[in-house]
Amino acid sequence: MGWLAVPKDWISTFGEIAKFCGKIVGQVYGLRVFRFFGEALRQCGILILSSTLVIWGLVFIIGLQCGIEGAYFTRSVGAPAYSGVFAAWCDLRELVPYAFGYMMAAKVGTGIVAELGSMRISDEIDALEVMGINSVTFLCATRLLAAWMVLPFMYIAAIGAGFFASYLAVVQQIGDVSSGGFFLIFWMFQNPPDMLFSMMKAMVMATGIVLVGCYYGYNASGGPVGVGTATAKSMVLNIVFVHLIGMLGTQLFWGANPRAPIGG
Amino acid sequence: MVRTVADRTFLPAKAVLEEVGDMMILTGKTIVSALRPPYPYGGEFVSQFLFALRLCWFPLLVSTVAFGYGAPGLQAANFLVLFGALDRLGGFFVLASIREFAPFVVAIVLAGVAGTAITADLGARKIREELDALQVLGVDPVKNLVVPRFLALMVVTGLFDVYALLFGIFGGILATLVNGAPLGPFWATFFTNASVTDLWGSLVKCTLFGAIIAIVCCYKGMTASGGAAGVGRAVNQAVVIAFLGVFAFNYVFTQTLLATHPEITVIK
Repeated sequence: MGWLAVPKDWISTFGEIAKFCGKIVGQVYGLRVFRFFGEALRQCGILILSSTLVIWGLVFIIGLQCGIEGAYFTRSVGAPAYSGVFAAWCDLRELVPYAFGYMMAAKVGTGIVAELGSMRISDEIDALEVMGINSVTFLCATRLLAAWMVLPFMYIAAIGAGFFASYLAVVQQIGDVSSGGFFLIFWMFQNPPDMLFSMMKAMVMATGIVLVGCYYGYNASGGPVGVGTATAKSMVLNIVFVHLIGMLGTQLFWGANPRAPIGG
Repeated sequence: MVRTVADRTFLPAKAVLEEVGDMMILTGKTIVSALRPPYPYGGEFVSQFLFALRLCWFPLLVSTVAFGYGAPGLQAANFLVLFGALDRLGGFFVLASIREFAPFVVAIVLAGVAGTAITADLGARKIREELDALQVLGVDPVKNLVVPRFLALMVVTGLFDVYALLFGIFGGILATLVNGAPLGPFWATFFTNASVTDLWGSLVKCTLFGAIIAIVCCYKGMTASGGAAGVGRAVNQAVVIAFLGVFAFNYVFTQTLLATHPEITVIK
């Protein structure tokens, strides 16, 4: 029976998380979170000030990476003018959402676990309940609302950072293609629906990460060690989740239709 | 006035530089004490190695198959199908899997799973003053705690790179099968394009990712402070710094490898 215990444990944890997430999302959609709108705005501020630059930084580095791989690959097939195709698809469709998801998990997800976990350990959450404040609404639902208010804009700017980095790598660093030639192909191989799909992918990742972070933080136990362990555990789940959403999103949005301006 | 503005700008920058310097010093100390006898860290090395292996194998499997099927598999297959050249997907996977995503997915998973566990473990020991107690007993924490983790993570990331390659290519195979194409041409273009340089580049890169992750996570764990919130914050900072460090290093390494070995970029 030993080996069955592990998957059983996973399934029961998954159920617990789903139940908890349902509660948080219910609080946001039930508009009860607006009782604490000020707290939600404060969380927005924290998110903008502490996480934006790091997320853009990682996306920028990934954009450089897409740029050099694209430039060398298209050079090797003898069509360096077409590095824009590689950069456009690599940035917008795949790696910017992934990079965003990774950094969200690392910076925001574990940050939430650490913060809520230490509140739980020092009995602050119980104190909230005693004061008659619904702690799930006050701590978790406000964070989810803050993420939904800030992240779409942050993500659009992150796409910009990725594009800028690819431009730098392909045109300024490798220099096989002129700026005009690069942008002609680059913009031809993407359109607004692609950006919308990419954003949907990223927002699903972000929502999941915030919810998982809230679950592990809110339910942390076992002293300072417990907070550290909960943070580490949330990261495991988030990474698997980000990759699965990346794959399912690609399959759903581009699996049956390449959305490329080629052929009929 | 000028002084306050200058302080506001330069003090964070100074703190960052000091931290990077401290990590470099820790790297140096770790390497020196790994090489200098005696070698008391054998048992800890084995247990850390098995710990990382046990913790990471499943998340890594899911992540590499998902990444391989989604990003290079479906998107590149879509593009190649338009030209009726799906057999070239194998050649593309040399670039995508060996050179790029196998190492970095390993780094992401190892940093997120094993790295966070290491920081949480060392941070908890620091908070409970066990590290100070070790020093009082005459046991060097760098030699007995950091060195085995450093070596174990380097070995384990190097080996996991091969594992990630296998499962990443499995994702590519899935993408080929989904498009209803035979696998023969996939393997044919894969093996004509694959080169030994690509493979050792991938392995060296991945091993060095392991070193970066181990140093960042051990440093952050050993300098954790401030009770329960402190350990969580240490884990948070460790994983952010590890990601940024790994990707920045990835860019420099890949660029150097591609520029100094032009023969690996030739499509055969």
